[in-house]
Amino acid sequence: MDILSQDRVGASILSALRGVLPHAILQEEWQTPRQVTITVKPSALQDVVKTLYYEHYGWVSVVVGNDERSLTGVFAVYYVLSMEGPEKCHIVVRVEVPADTQEFPSVTPVVPACVWGEREVRDMFGLKPVGLPDERRLVLPDDWPDDLHPLRKDSMDYRMRPAPVADNETYPFINEAKGETTIVPVGPLHITSDEPGHFRLFVDGEDIIDADYRMFYVHRGMEKVAESRMGYNEVTFLADRVCGICGYAHSVAYTTSIENALGINVPARAQAIRSILLETERMHSHLLNLGLVCHYVGFDTGFQQFFRVREKAMTLAELLTGSRKTYAMNLIGGVRRDILGEQAAETRRVSAELRVDTQRLVDILLETANVGGRVNGVGLLDKQIARDYSPVGPLVRGSGHARDTRADHAFAGYGLVKNTIRSHDGCDVLARTLVRAEEVFDSLDLIDALLDTAPGGAILTEDFEYLPHKFALGFTEAPRGEDIHWSMTGDNQKLYRWRCRASTYNNWPVLRYMLRGNTVSDAPVIVGSLDPCYSCTDRVTFVDVRKQKSVTVPIEEVERYGRERKNSPLK
Amino acid sequence: MNAPVNAQTLLTSPGAVSIPAQIAAMKATLLKDIQRSAYVYRVDCGGCNGCEIEIFASITPVFDAERFGIKVVPSPRHADILLYTGAMTRAMRMPALRAYEAAPDPKIVVSYGACGCTGGIFHDLYCTWGGTDQLVPVDVYIPGCPPTPAATIYGFAVALGLLGQKLKAETHIEAPGEAAPLAHPDIPYVLRVAIEREARRMAGYRQGRDIAEEFFAVIEQQSDTPFPMRMAQLRATEPDPRRVEIFSRLESVVAEALQA
Repeated sequence: MDILSQDRVGASILSALRGVLPHAILQEEWQTPRQVTITVKPSALQDVVKTLYYEHYGWVSVVVGNDERSLTGVFAVYYVLSMEGPEKCHIVVRVEVPADTQEFPSVTPVVPACVWGEREVRDMFGLKPVGLPDERRLVLPDDWPDDLHPLRKDSMDYRMRPAPVADNETYPFINEAKGETTIVPVGPLHITSDEPGHFRLFVDGEDIIDADYRMFYVHRGMEKVAESRMGYNEVTFLADRVCGICGYAHSVAYTTSIENALGINVPARAQAIRSILLETERMHSHLLNLGLVCHYVGFDTGFQQFFRVREKAMTLAELLTGSRKTYAMNLIGGVRRDILGEQAAETRRVSAELRVDTQRLVDILLETANVGGRVNGVGLLDKQIARDYSPVGPLVRGSGHARDTRADHAFAGYGLVKNTIRSHDGCDVLARTLVRAEEVFDSLDLIDALLDTAPGGAILTEDFEYLPHKFALGFTEAPRGEDIHWSMTGDNQKLYRWRCRASTYNNWPVLRYMLRGNTVSDAPVIVGSLDPCYSCTDRVTFVDVRKQKSVTVPIEEVERYGRERKNSPLK
Repeated sequence: MNAPVNAQTLLTSPGAVSIPAQIAAMKATLLKDIQRSAYVYRVDCGGCNGCEIEIFASITPVFDAERFGIKVVPSPRHADILLYTGAMTRAMRMPALRAYEAAPDPKIVVSYGACGCTGGIFHDLYCTWGGTDQLVPVDVYIPGCPPTPAATIYGFAVALGLLGQKLKAETHIEAPGEAAPLAHPDIPYVLRVAIEREARRMAGYRQGRDIAEEFFAVIEQQSDTPFPMRMAQLRATEPDPRRVEIFSRLESVVAEALQA
């Protein structure tokens, strides 16, 4: 697709880059007027990403590996940067990785936000980021063979299940405690976590000194199945199942990526409907998190009340999509269900009810003294650390950075209406909670505004053809922040490569900094304020740095202590 | 690279757990007649959170499963029922087995959601083992993606014997000479397809179908009023402007077809 040069947003950033690093850019290719991919010399990779990141208001969205040996003879790694300065656009920095050495310079030492992305490329493609400070496994399970890299095109069939190489978790946790420590393991499952993960906190008495965690217990291999078993439209429904809470955001991000790659003009009405559904999803998710904040500080009445009100958002979803969760509403080129007059009227009625109910609950939440005392000044995420690690969503907005994909890179129907970015400077749990509470009302406003402004016309276009090896980004603002997908079409009616990055992926790396300096009883509410796809940690190992001993405490016990604040599990 | 593969040769089985006969007998009694409230422990083995959040919804005020004595407990050691969700991922194999071993016998295992029941959309992927029953013996399946809170409570009611499962099977046997009736035989097939497609583009699968049917009914009406007049009447009486817009689009499809 040819993008006319006068339409291009971000061209001046590239010319500034060329001024500083004259010979770094080998190739420049525009996917949409606001999306460009530049291929750079490996030796200039660090400088290019660093310059874009720190001097042009760039944020790392995702790092994508791709096995392009059958196309160009090399592997490639794409660093996706969301440019949020005066020229808002996406710049994708592509570096080619030779098929023989399989090495490329790691960017993590200069831009820490790349750490998870590069660790993942190591796991899935076996490429070696030279200089990567943390070379532990990230995505693949501990019982996976060392030399098998699932996303290499020639490594394995998507159904191949190698025999387990270990029965125990072998992940090395970074433990800064000095001297001998004893660890008592407690099962990595518990009552309130929706999903499994594994945390270790390093504490001095009651104070958290450091933390480390192991995620990806639920890695299933979605990207591989999308590239091998499914067609383009099937993947929209697979994307719905990336996350049970914000699945529709993923589905929109995926369809947008294909639509961007192929230059499909999606009817405006379909785009407006997508935005209405995204806001519905945001409401149920934020109400869920507000409820959980109540739960973690021991205000269970609030928790039950928020869940009661949240059911109205679920009713709304059912009314508009036919299901409470996993909406299955997208196709490439549009949506599968219209909003007729009758449903629009009912939506307005339910949303008016929701507004009154939520307002009452938010007032109660903020006026309850116990809550204020537990969230104010707790779990600080320093503004500069937030800048270095590119977290997204209410987390980064609670630390004074006003970044919201809906406003920065208006997608779906957000171009039709006015978007407000909510940000607070508190950097604490309270700030993040306030952002979420305010956004619930913004969602209600947006739904009303979109129902008013949604233009007529079709909701689906079938006027396009699939072309091979076209790629682009698609993005949405999910309840937890930006979801970003990078898709490349294949030549067999299947994706050549699909990289799907959920918002929480960008948020985990900063958790360690938020936990530091707080007390043990604050840990659940801090982790909850991240609003991870599960709200808590499944097992926590406390390492007392001063006493030089460690003890693992079941998370129920930590949560109980978080609520009651007596009988410390560490004594 | 893309050579045909025999999937059977790729699969390693994780090896299922077996139940001793004595415990199986105790379990049968428990399943048949539990007669008390049941404690449930949730084991997420790789769900997307959809199931988990619907379980949450089931135990909060609007649905409130606790009124049936179903209570979620924080440890498998307290549990009568283990509720497995999600396609069994590799990383969760050992934790899932440990949870199973920790629960006292006889225990009921419920497999929840499409992924738990069969592995769902992830059934044959490299990093999963398929459904719950690939690893531990399952007694009750609650299907759905995700099951709604109502389906969840129904599933538990079945598991606890509060409710006999109502399965309504109906088999149609074709009578001699019986033929399925054609839909709208008086409307030319090409036109019908064009109208249905346009209705789908305008209003989607579900509502588009309904609207197309309404439109066909107007076309097929036996009446002296000419078709455009009947449509004008329909549009005039229709309160929803969006539906009026869609009807107009369908009319223009008919007009284009007549010209061609």
